[in-house]
Amino acid sequence: MPSITIIGSGPGGHIAAFEAARRGAEVTLVEKTDVGGTCLNTGCIPTKTLKSSAEALETAGKLAQFGIAAEAGTEKVSFKADMPAVIARKERVRKVLSGGLEKTCASLNIRLIRGAAELAGDTTVRVHTAEGTEEVKSDNIILATGSSTLDLPSLPVDHKHIINSDDALNLDHVPNRMVIVGGGVIGCELAFIYRAFGAKVTIVEGLDRLLPIPSVDEDMSRLLQREAKKHRIKVELAKTVKSATVVDGKVSCVLGPSPFVEGATGEDTTIEADVVLVAVGRTPNIEGLNLDAAGVEADNRGWIKADEGMRTSAKGIYAIGDALGPARIMLAHVASAEGLCAVANCFGEDKTLDYSVIPAGIFTSPEIGTVGLSETDAISKGFEVRSQVFQFRELGKAQAMGELPGMFKLICEKESGKILGVHIAGAHATDLIAEAALAIEKGLTAADLAHTIHAHPTLAEGLYEVAEGWLRGC
Amino acid sequence: MSELTFPEDILYHPEHTWVRIADDNTAVVGITDFAQEQLGEVAFVDLPEIGSTFAAGDEFGTVESIKAVSSLHMPIAGTVTAINEALEDEPSDVNTAPYGDAWMIRITVDADADKSQLLDSEKYAAQL
Repeated sequence: MPSITIIGSGPGGHIAAFEAARRGAEVTLVEKTDVGGTCLNTGCIPTKTLKSSAEALETAGKLAQFGIAAEAGTEKVSFKADMPAVIARKERVRKVLSGGLEKTCASLNIRLIRGAAELAGDTTVRVHTAEGTEEVKSDNIILATGSSTLDLPSLPVDHKHIINSDDALNLDHVPNRMVIVGGGVIGCELAFIYRAFGAKVTIVEGLDRLLPIPSVDEDMSRLLQREAKKHRIKVELAKTVKSATVVDGKVSCVLGPSPFVEGATGEDTTIEADVVLVAVGRTPNIEGLNLDAAGVEADNRGWIKADEGMRTSAKGIYAIGDALGPARIMLAHVASAEGLCAVANCFGEDKTLDYSVIPAGIFTSPEIGTVGLSETDAISKGFEVRSQVFQFRELGKAQAMGELPGMFKLICEKESGKILGVHIAGAHATDLIAEAALAIEKGLTAADLAHTIHAHPTLAEGLYEVAEGWLRGC
Repeated sequence: MSELTFPEDILYHPEHTWVRIADDNTAVVGITDFAQEQLGEVAFVDLPEIGSTFAAGDEFGTVESIKAVSSLHMPIAGTVTAINEALEDEPSDVNTAPYGDAWMIRITVDADADKSQLLDSEKYAAQL
């Protein structure tokens, strides 16, 4: 049985550790900060707890629409976000999950070392702990160090007025005016959350749509832009923040036409904010790792290079997760799948990972779930496609829930009806996408979806309806 | 459908928008009584940025009701000079005053704009 040292305990590292231990390996898991990585501590889970608070507040604001009235004498009841309590709830959730991971490590006899890891040649890892330095020799190393928020020189983060996404999950108050730089997943999620909490939000995006990600269909971006307008979130597309200066506790941001969009024109404008949130991307966690000592190659931005089986340029050393960069998809569940693949290869198998069917959830309001190709991507890959949409509000369940915004979009190969991509915006879209992921993974067609009985009344009927619509060709 | 009205002083696009063209080549655009009746209670109108240009038939925005989301089609080619911001707060005006308070955009009509697709009141009503 191999011995494996895994650096980083996020969804890549800890899933790899659990798998390796269950297969009988001797596993050491090294963690510099909190067990659970970005996902559990500053990413997926914290944003979802904040989103749940935001949704609770939104629901409280429309109780009357559901026929719920205050008791006599309490008519003036109104609700607001109590940020210290919101953050305390987030911390409770985080600790429950983090504690669970530590318990699983213990039950699987995984040795968890708290400290910063450094490669020390071959497959040796030097760990700098509070007590001193320890060398761990093993047959294999899996680098799962993840990524951190990317700073821009023009937007100097001071963690008070100019903040990053980590800070945004720990604010003790709701800023009055918030400018969010970056209309990607993180920027959009936090925009809808803080808007629900009561902030006046402006999103500044350098490209010409929100969520300008190849895997997100343009119809989803358009829908989200409409919902942003409805929520009174101001969206400045094809613009960048050229500078941000803090004066008397306020941030003055200069916006100009984006160099990333051809033909973007216009005068520079200045907007003032109480808080500017920088959400422009991520950078690899390789500082202090000493990749060179082991001969692990990285690209010029520091993203670690690995083959389809997660092998780096150094024998016996694998890399998974965010540290591989945006060329692979930087999602928690992708890191986990990469971890399983790396462990299998540590055990002498020859596995590779297929990145073509990866569902993704975006927790905006409404949520967005995507899997497979966008329409634009499918066409550019040479497919002859036909697409079909179905509106959420046509579903009885959506009407009953009062959740009208949203749509289902099905993209199929024109002749065969083989499903190439599914994009859903609407309530619970991130849960609904799972059925579509299975359908694409198994090579199913629109007819297969349409001929599967879907329970009524559910939101999942939307997938049946859009497939049925596709078959009818309307 | 007898209760629906189609004023005679405006022109209609088959995709259920109307246009009132003034002598100075400016125009006002909205949706027809038929369109609002089909949509039901209007909940949101998404209008374009001022300065946007559209060809006849292009989608210039969307209108959402409780039961549908529909594209708004440009009746004639032109450039948007104003949008009806009042619809942001009172989208239901579209149901009560589709030819009046609920106008949607003001445009400058392109000099060479094709008007052949536009219908008069009688022809529009006949094709419904």
